[in-house]
Amino acid sequence: MSDLTRLPWPFAPADRTFRYTVNVEPARRRVETPAGSWGEHVVDLGDDYAEQMALRRDVLARDPGRRQALPHMEPACWDMLLYLLRELVSARPDAMHLADLGSGAFAWRNDLLGIEQSFVLGDAATLPTDPLTWIGCQVPDDILMVSDRGGRLWFDAALVTWAAAWSVKFDIGMHLDEIHGPVPRLNEDGVTSRATRFMRSITTDQTYRRVNWTFSAHGSPRRDISLEVKPEWDADVPQLVRDGDFGRLQLRIELEHLTRLPLTGTLTFNIRTYMAPLAEVVEVPGWGEQLAAIVAELPPDIAGYKGIAPYRDDVVAWLGDATRTAAAA
Amino acid sequence: MSVPATQLLRVTRIRAVTDRVREIRLADPDGRPLAGYAPGSHLVVTAGGTRNAYSLTGSGIAPGDYRISVLRTGDDGGSAWLHDVLRAGDLLAVEPPRSAFRPELAARKSFLVAAGIGVTPILSHLAAARAWGRPVEVVYGYRPGEAAHLEEVRQLAGPDLVEAQGRVALADALRERMAVQPWGTHAHACGPAAVLDLFTATARAAGWPPARVHLEHFRAPELSPGRPFTARLRRSGREFPVPSGTSLLEAVLAAGVEVPSMCRQGVCGQCLVPVAAGRVDHRDLVLDEADRLASTHLLACVSRAADTHLELDL
Repeated sequence: MSDLTRLPWPFAPADRTFRYTVNVEPARRRVETPAGSWGEHVVDLGDDYAEQMALRRDVLARDPGRRQALPHMEPACWDMLLYLLRELVSARPDAMHLADLGSGAFAWRNDLLGIEQSFVLGDAATLPTDPLTWIGCQVPDDILMVSDRGGRLWFDAALVTWAAAWSVKFDIGMHLDEIHGPVPRLNEDGVTSRATRFMRSITTDQTYRRVNWTFSAHGSPRRDISLEVKPEWDADVPQLVRDGDFGRLQLRIELEHLTRLPLTGTLTFNIRTYMAPLAEVVEVPGWGEQLAAIVAELPPDIAGYKGIAPYRDDVVAWLGDATRTAAAA
Repeated sequence: MSVPATQLLRVTRIRAVTDRVREIRLADPDGRPLAGYAPGSHLVVTAGGTRNAYSLTGSGIAPGDYRISVLRTGDDGGSAWLHDVLRAGDLLAVEPPRSAFRPELAARKSFLVAAGIGVTPILSHLAAARAWGRPVEVVYGYRPGEAAHLEEVRQLAGPDLVEAQGRVALADALRERMAVQPWGTHAHACGPAAVLDLFTATARAAGWPPARVHLEHFRAPELSPGRPFTARLRRSGREFPVPSGTSLLEAVLAAGVEVPSMCRQGVCGQCLVPVAAGRVDHRDLVLDEADRLASTHLLACVSRAADTHLELDL
C-alpha cells in the first residue's frame, strides 16, 4: 500500500487539461488534498524512509556512476550538504540534530538511520564518503545541481537513483536547453528560456517548488527506471497493457524544489518522486475522474513524450470504469 | 518574490581600518549562527534613514560574524551615520546577504582586481579561494596610507599579490598580468568607474572573452533624470504619468502595485518586470545585449520609456 496521504496531487481542483508551463510557486506551504496534505517542508521523508535509503545505497553500490560531479563542484556539494541537513532538521526536529560548533565544524545525528558524524565543512577527510554521496543517502530526493554561468544553466553535479527513463551520465555537463531538447513544446514555446530566466533570478532566501507527473514505465513502485537498466523494465508496461491490468500502473509524481545555495550560488533542482498505483488513485474522491479527463485531452506530442500514447484510450476507459465502481462502493 | 526580511544584528566590534574606513562586525543578538553567503555578497544596511549596500569581506563559509568596511563619503547620509552615530553594542537592521558578484566555480583561476574601497568584495573572493584551495591572483591598486585591509590581503594572497600604488602603476600591472593569465581564468574587478573602464579596456586589448570578465560597480553611474512618459499596466488597465526624476519603479509602487526591489540602481536585478508594449530605454547593468534586443523585460528602477508611452504586463 502506498501512502497517498502525503501525495502532491499535480492538478488544481478545476484542471481538466495539462500543458507544460513554468508552474512554480513558493515552497513550504501546506496543501490539503482529498487524501491528506503535503508541502509543509522542503524535505519529506515519508513512511518508508529507511527502506528507500537502503534501496538508494543498493543502486549506488551496483552503479556508482549515478553520482556525478564535475571537479569544480566540490564546494557546491558541501553547500548542498549543509542546506539539506538544515532542511532535515526543519522537517523532523525530533529525529535530526545539527550542532554548529564554530569555525566550520558541525556535529550531526540522524536518529532514523542511526548516523552520528562530526565533520568540518569543506574537509573531505572528515566524512566517510564524498559529501554528495553522504547527504544523498540521507534524503529521499534525487539531487540535481545547476551552475549559473555565462548566461546559461549547466547541469554540473547530481546524485540520481530514481530517474524516469533518463540517464544522469548522459545529461551531466549539458546546459538546460540541451537537456530539454526532447520535451515537446518546451523550447519552442519559450518555456525553457522563461524557466532559465526564472531560475537565474532566484535568491538564497527563496525556495520554490514545482510538480510534474507521468505514468511510470514500471508497474510497481520500484523506482529504478533509469535508462541504465532499461532492459529490465522495458517490457513491463506493454505486458501490463496486454493484461489490461491498469490498476497496477503507477502515477508518478515528481515534486521539485528550487533554490540558490548560499555559499556558491549553485541552483538546486531536487526531485522527490512519489508513486501511486491507479487502483488506489481511483479510491480518492475526484482524482480518478480528473486524471481520466486530463489524459483523454492530452495533445498527441505530449502523450507521446510521456509514453502514454500507445495505451491512452485503454487507460482512460479503465479510469472511468474504476472511478464509477469506486463511487458506487 | 517578496521583499527580503530584515533582521536585527548586534554590533560586536568597530575598528578603524584607515582614517576614512571603519570595519563593523555584526552577530546575531541571540547567538544563533548566521547564514553563509557567496563571496562578493553584500549586506543592505539601514543606516540612519537610508538603505546602503556594503560588501561582506569574509569567505562566507559558516561565518562567525558578518564584517563590512564602510568608507566615509560625506558628512551626511548612511556612511556618515555609520561612522558618527553607530556604536558597539547597538542593533543594526540588515537584509540577508545577496550576491551579484560570485566567483565562477568552473574557473581555472581567479584573477582579482581591487582599487580603493573596492577591495572589500575582492577580500571576500580571496578568502574563499584560499578556503577551497582554488588558484587565485590579486592586483590591488591603492593610494599610500589609504589601503584598506592591505595586511589581510598580503597574508591571504602571499606571493600571488601585485600591489600598485597609484593609477599609472595599476594600469601597468593590469596590462602586464592580464596578458599572462592561463586560458579559462575568470577576472573580477571592483573599484571606481574609471578603474573598471581601465580594467575592461585592458581585458579587451588582451583578448579576454567578455564572459570571463566580471565587474562590481560599487557606485552605479549617475543617470539622467530622464524624460517624462506615461505608463500603463495591462492587467489592471491603469495609467499614470512618470515624471522626469521619478523612476518607473517608484511610480508603479505609488500606484499600489507590489514589485520586489532592492538596490534601485539597476544592479541587483530584483525589479525585473515584463514589458507588454512600447520601446524601452534600458539603463541597467544586469540585462545583456540579447535581453535588450528581445526587450521582453526591463528593470523598473532605472529603465524608462524610449518614447512617450510604455505598457507593462502587470
